[in-house]
Amino acid sequence: MNIFESTKMAVKTLTANKLRSTLTMLGIIIGNASVITMVGVGQGAQRYASEQFESLGPNVLFIIPGSDEARSRSLNIPRTLTLEDAEAITSQVPTVDAVAPQLQAQQPITYSNKRSSSLVVGTVPDFLPVRDFDVEQGRFFTDEDVRRSAQVAALGSDVARKLFEGADPIGQQIRIRNLSFQVIGVMESKGAFLGDNQDDTVFIPLTTMSNRITGDRSPYGREVTFISATARDEASITAAQFQIANLLRLRHKVTIEDDFTIRTQKDALEIVGNVTGALTLMLAAIAGISLFVGGIGIMNIMLVSVRERTHEIGLRKAIGASQQDILVQFMIEAIILSAIGGVIGTGIGTAGVMIVGATTPLKAGISTAAIVLAVSVSGTIGLFFGVFPARQAAKLDPIVALRSA
Amino acid sequence: MQPVIRLEHIFKTYGAGDTEVRALHDVNLIVNAGEYCAIMGPSGSGKSTAMNVIGCLDRPTSGSYYLDGVDVARLSDPELAHIRNRNLGFVFQQFHLLAQLSALENVMLPMVYAGTPYNERKERAAEALTRVGLANRLNNRPNQLSGGQQQRVAIARAIVNRPVLLLADEPTGALDSQTTQEVMNIFSELNASGITVIMVTHEAEVARLSRRIVWFKDGQVVNDHLAPQDLAQMTVTV
Ligand SMILES: Nc1ncnc2c1ncn2[C@@H]1O[C@H](COP(=O)(O)OP(=O)(O)O)[C@@H](O)[C@H]1O
Ligand SMILES: [Mg+2]
Repeated sequence: MNIFESTKMAVKTLTANKLRSTLTMLGIIIGNASVITMVGVGQGAQRYASEQFESLGPNVLFIIPGSDEARSRSLNIPRTLTLEDAEAITSQVPTVDAVAPQLQAQQPITYSNKRSSSLVVGTVPDFLPVRDFDVEQGRFFTDEDVRRSAQVAALGSDVARKLFEGADPIGQQIRIRNLSFQVIGVMESKGAFLGDNQDDTVFIPLTTMSNRITGDRSPYGREVTFISATARDEASITAAQFQIANLLRLRHKVTIEDDFTIRTQKDALEIVGNVTGALTLMLAAIAGISLFVGGIGIMNIMLVSVRERTHEIGLRKAIGASQQDILVQFMIEAIILSAIGGVIGTGIGTAGVMIVGATTPLKAGISTAAIVLAVSVSGTIGLFFGVFPARQAAKLDPIVALRSA
Repeated sequence: MQPVIRLEHIFKTYGAGDTEVRALHDVNLIVNAGEYCAIMGPSGSGKSTAMNVIGCLDRPTSGSYYLDGVDVARLSDPELAHIRNRNLGFVFQQFHLLAQLSALENVMLPMVYAGTPYNERKERAAEALTRVGLANRLNNRPNQLSGGQQQRVAIARAIVNRPVLLLADEPTGALDSQTTQEVMNIFSELNASGITVIMVTHEAEVARLSRRIVWFKDGQVVNDHLAPQDLAQMTVTV
């Protein structure tokens, strides 16, 4: 008997038991759809996070307080970095182009009767080139403003909208924690960074922030939350990292363990890649389990079907079916179930990925690899879980099978 | 001429120890081409077991079975399948039709395993059904047919691949006397057309239609003689 006849026979059997066939396929459909959706979402998260860090530019370095070990020990890291550290980097590290220390905290902001709780970032004018921010209207504060601890503010676009609702904010007075600030500029919209809305932010001179709002002083100087810097060019990143580390060790009198960490964009990308990669893997594993369960469903149904059709198998053998004929017939049934389930599941999964891509910032994309994987896995599952029941059917003794009615 | 069937010292035992059943105990039997042979005997005497061995559905515990001179014990699964498909036709007491298939499809089934092209399959199945008088029932499912009609479908299925040997295990056991007569006529016709027929039956009337009666008792052949009308004929010809 040829494959075409076997397939026709298998299709006939499967369509004779439509409800059962559908239910069996359901397991594979769900498994496939979830693998494709989960992998799509995971990779979307990966791509999203990577793009965010790439948008910072390749030359960016982040200096954050505490060593990696210290951060893994406790969430409460002492603020070991200071404005003076940043100034020292600017003046003493030749491979560094610009340095932007940041001291930031969530603060209540009011204008007449409007209120907003936004992130207040105290920084310096070099923040603009380092972090690739720009003003849309008015101006950013100057080094002079920083030196004088001027009470001036540049508003993130969302804050401006919330407080001024379309009116011109330039020159108006707002209050940050009961201190009066003059609005001198409105920032260009930057969107979200890793889910943080960067437009819900107010920028003021770092000295003003430190002196009047959340001022803390350590033995080393004015504390800052973290420092960003840009290297002169991509080639000098490693040198800059090394020189900054040496300078800070000297300044902080580090003997055993660094009290800071320097990360390059590449480091950050790597970390993000690892985290989201693990996330993708976990999602895929969960989905893979459901695919596996779907496969067991196929095996279960096939076993029931072999038992139910023992008599039929006996008769087929009595009129001339060989073991191979029976084996092929049952295998084809299993493969058809899992292949159709796989295709439907892929369709649903693809739709799921597109919905996630359209409704969330995750750059969820349909991954050909995920589709190929899911379909070939479900095909293999059909084969694998089909073989056992099919072999059982094929090996039945004709007379034993015939008597079993 | 080579006998179609030669059974030599066939034993078949089921179970072991206390529960051991000797279904066949040293059975020797030769059936020549063109014979019409009835097998009779009390229930449990081993008739079905012998038929299953002859039909290559079951293997004897010991002894040799030569089918057309070939030692069946040496054949592989695909070779046995081929023999069951091409050389043998089996008619069961319980019909054993596939309920989800029409009469025509049931009869086409052996040709599917023979690799016959679809159109030829359809044509020959219709022919076979016509031969058993069911030309107007091709598309009925088994549950839409009477017992006699179902058995005739089963006979059509058994002869559609033009076997040399037709085996029937109590083919009329589930039928009334009217349909029994019809089915017996079909067997006589088939035998007349050259097919060797072996049939298990309880009914003496049925057996009388055959040329030879083999008696089974306790798993052994206890009597093997030609039917009376043939005896009479032989004395004339001798
Ligand atoms: N599968 C089996 N397992 C155990 N004993 C069996 C089996 N098939 C038949 N037998 C026994 O073998 C003997 C012969 O059975 P069978 O050939 O069916 O007799 P008959 O067809 O003449 O009525 C009986 O005693 C029966 O109980
Ligand atoms: Mg019997």
